[in-house]
Amino acid sequence: MNTAGGCWRIVNASAAARVLADRQLPSGGWSFTGSQQASIEATCLGVLTLAGGTQAINSAAFQFLLKSQLPNGGWPAFQGDSEAAWTTALALSTVIVTNNMSEVGERALNWLLEERGREGHWFWRWKFKTADSEVRFNPDKYGWPWSPATTSWVIPTAFSVVAIKQSTVCNRSVASEKRIRLGVDMLQDRVCVGGGWNSGNSLVYGVPLPAHVEATAIALLALQDEKQTPLIQASLSWLKHRSSSIESVESLAWCILSLFVYQEPVEHLKARLATLIGDGHDIRNNATLATAILALKCGEMIHPFEVLR
Amino acid sequence: MNVDRRRFLGSAAGMAATAGVAADWLWPRHSVSYRRPRSFVAILNAAEYSEKIETLLMDGLRLFRLNLLGKAILLKPNMVEDLPGPVNTNANIIGAAARCFLRLGATRIVIGEGPGHQRDTELVVQVAGLKPHLADRRIEFVDLNRDELAKVKLKANYSGLGELWLPRSVLDSDFVVSMPKVKTHHWAGVTLSLKNMFGIVPGMKYGWPKNLLHWHGIHESILDICATVPIHFVIADSITAMEGNGPLQGTARELGKIVLADDPVAADATCARLMGFDPLRVQHLSEGGRFLGNLRADRITMLAERAEAPIRPFAVLPDFRYLLARTDL
Repeated sequence: MNTAGGCWRIVNASAAARVLADRQLPSGGWSFTGSQQASIEATCLGVLTLAGGTQAINSAAFQFLLKSQLPNGGWPAFQGDSEAAWTTALALSTVIVTNNMSEVGERALNWLLEERGREGHWFWRWKFKTADSEVRFNPDKYGWPWSPATTSWVIPTAFSVVAIKQSTVCNRSVASEKRIRLGVDMLQDRVCVGGGWNSGNSLVYGVPLPAHVEATAIALLALQDEKQTPLIQASLSWLKHRSSSIESVESLAWCILSLFVYQEPVEHLKARLATLIGDGHDIRNNATLATAILALKCGEMIHPFEVLR
Repeated sequence: MNVDRRRFLGSAAGMAATAGVAADWLWPRHSVSYRRPRSFVAILNAAEYSEKIETLLMDGLRLFRLNLLGKAILLKPNMVEDLPGPVNTNANIIGAAARCFLRLGATRIVIGEGPGHQRDTELVVQVAGLKPHLADRRIEFVDLNRDELAKVKLKANYSGLGELWLPRSVLDSDFVVSMPKVKTHHWAGVTLSLKNMFGIVPGMKYGWPKNLLHWHGIHESILDICATVPIHFVIADSITAMEGNGPLQGTARELGKIVLADDPVAADATCARLMGFDPLRVQHLSEGGRFLGNLRADRITMLAERAEAPIRPFAVLPDFRYLLARTDL
């Protein structure tokens, strides 16, 4: 903060926040890139970024989020879709972090507790165990899919675990605990050889898949309050090692958000991120821009994906 | 007894075939047909990804006498992951194609891709080396995973999906060019111009990967997508292709070719032959040959050299040995 780099980072974060605010749609939400079709992911990240900003922005954004919730408690991926998706987890975290947990949050939590990857059904578990030998994973350990009626994947499972942990921190039911444990077990089952996570599987046809920065960072957020097993430590080491060479905004921002909750030094990464985003104008993807601002402000505002212990 | 059994089996097979034809007639599985009397393919020799590619590509494209004046063109390369090796369509070919189409009269080029596993599209674009080719303001990259979407009724019904949300940038383009990297594929056998169209299906709706398509059948989904978004032209990168455990973990295979075609089925059939595979054994190709384009060699005019099978066919995983052309079995 007291260095030139720190000042520059604050200037860039503020300028980028203004760019993001200017891109808010009349509906109150944000699209990914320039269209009028609001994305729930971009909107949630936008709300989290600008929480505490001008009242008008927050109010319009919240009204949009509330209006977008589906009757079953879930949120779609984008405006106009009628099917609930993984974005429900992100919306639930947004509702909690901005102190708006109410009946809206309860309905979202119930939807999340009911939703599961296809492996949640005994028939598909049996099929994965008996017929699908090309991919290595334990189908007894399942999580959440991106969209209904598909298999569990790392990122939606990680966001769902974070959201359920956050929303049940004071009052955790047996059902919530069971889904958290299943989700955590699933993430640990899918760790890549050498640490980190790919999108879902770690081995295909016996060959290890490489880890991805974003999936690894988000999976680690879900495991931040778990016992630090060798798998988690290996994944954290992988992410720290990889962080030195990340040159893309989205991956670097998630990397910072994750390393921060593990109390790893991130100032040098923030400085690089500030340089990459400049004043934010060249970052076309609003979800990426919002994530970058969250990462730059890490430590100065509530971390939206921190789980209280 | 044997004769009776043979007669019975013959009758059963005949009845099944008749039932299949009747079912197709009563409940057609596609409402469109893009097959023309003849299709044209040109195989260009290119030993490396050099600056000469643009000249070579321009000469090749001129063979097709394309009318592109004023058109908005979508280039759909295969950019899957931020991995080294022959995983993605080479950026020099993508950039050269974009510039060639502008020279041929196109007004706007959108390079669109929605990577299947890697959510950080910028990272894929960086690692693929595409950024320097986006300097011309008429050439734009669009992340199809996060574009504006419209719900579209599918023009074929193999997958049972019925409809898909698809990106506006794809639906609004006048001329779609599929630019696959020629590779083997551990679920589909091969990934060529038709399979490459999985990348237009948006991650923001269907996730990373687009797992719904797998559940509804890879071959079936390919047919439905390509019936709905017709491919007008193909530029297949097989200078350095991939064999074995593709599309990510296979090994490089030098073919030294670029395949151009005005028909995706003809293009893929040609690429499959270059790989030493029988195109009829690729499920989406054999079925696609009924309505998406021409599969049979006698309906494909070669504008440059003929598609000879390689001396050594591409290595495949054991599950895909059936793809090998009969002479190689």
